[in-house]
Amino acid sequence: MRSHSTQWSLTILCFVLGLLLMAQFRTQWMTSRTLLTTSSAEQLAIISSLVENNARLREEMEALEKQLSEYQQATGRAVLGPLVEELNKVKIINGLVEVSGPGVEVSIDGPIGVLDVQDLINELRNVGVEALTINGERLTLYSVVTSTEDGAITVNATQLSRPYILQAIGQPETMETALLRRGGLIATLERNYEGLAVSVVKREKMVLPLYKGAIEFVYASPIE
Amino acid sequence: MPGTEHESGALAIRRLEAEQQELKEGIGRIREQLDKNRRELAADTEMLKEINMELERQKMMAGLVAVTGPGVQVTLDDSNIQSVPATADPSAYLIHEYDLRDVVNLLWMAGSEAIAVNDERIVATTSIYCVGSTVMVNDTRLSPPYLIQAVGNSVAQEDILSNPAYLKEIKRKAELHGVQFKVDRVKKLTLPAYKGGFPIHYAQLGD
Repeated sequence: MRSHSTQWSLTILCFVLGLLLMAQFRTQWMTSRTLLTTSSAEQLAIISSLVENNARLREEMEALEKQLSEYQQATGRAVLGPLVEELNKVKIINGLVEVSGPGVEVSIDGPIGVLDVQDLINELRNVGVEALTINGERLTLYSVVTSTEDGAITVNATQLSRPYILQAIGQPETMETALLRRGGLIATLERNYEGLAVSVVKREKMVLPLYKGAIEFVYASPIE
Repeated sequence: MPGTEHESGALAIRRLEAEQQELKEGIGRIREQLDKNRRELAADTEMLKEINMELERQKMMAGLVAVTGPGVQVTLDDSNIQSVPATADPSAYLIHEYDLRDVVNLLWMAGSEAIAVNDERIVATTSIYCVGSTVMVNDTRLSPPYLIQAVGNSVAQEDILSNPAYLKEIKRKAELHGVQFKVDRVKKLTLPAYKGGFPIHYAQLGD
């Protein structure tokens, strides 16, 4: 079922890419939602994204069902295995353990701004990055990427110096393609900042450190 | 734009969204069931109980737990001006995905502890992007008005949002073009848990 829907989404994706290329020659992108309804190309892109997302949700559902049956069969100390496994996974998500894996390393030397860095992070998250550091600072959900008054970028309250090096663990080809596509983020940065030195290199294995700060809840309480 | 094709596209989107909704609800239910089972099983020994407590704490950080607390609600909406002057840039009358991203980033900067946009909880893997003019969060289609709810210190949150150094473009669009940008303090917000997956296929524990 999964491979079937993946195939379908790939077919749609190719079709959408074709349409987008055609559309680039024909029309200007910024159109008002209030004046125009959703275009066919846009519909297809939404369909393709929903197909992919539903496949991922089904995958998650199957994994949860497997987990549930593990817990239902486990008694006493046998619970330890699945419990620790779950704990480790969520710690990876939270950036609170050291991780290793393949991915891409992006190096940027130039006067890019904090919004550019935030866009880069968003782009990588959009293509499934699993763990990410900037100049060795691990990004968590709560990480703040901002700049000082003189324009230096800070991550997790640590001031970074150039070049900015992003290490991203995930599917290397997917991330590389997304970053380097025509009209993509790197191309836009190169257009906006003359003489910007950028490289995107695939890596077989990188080791990313954990986030060392603490995340405390003062205002939010869980709902049972 | 061929009418029937367009209509079948819209139909496919609605069908896929219904399926997405169903899957998310299913995931939410099974996670609740898991939490219950786990808690019962872990009650056996002190060590298991401790590990489970740690797991619940980590899940709260990841956005896998619904939360309640004080904070702010930010409303963003496209301009309601009916006729955009022919010479004007229509995009100046709209809220874009980067506007939402900027507000969310500022809210984290203000120390927010949990954020949701139109009931989609923001988590570590969330991207806020657009397909044409449609905003997608957690691969879910959102439509305006956008309600950003953030649990945290509402004074710090409000201060940062009203600081003239930030959100310059949104504030200009609000002033000149009728785009809506509103911040309300709320005593008690309720944010849903994230109901998607966290696919981890490449990252491994340790080196």
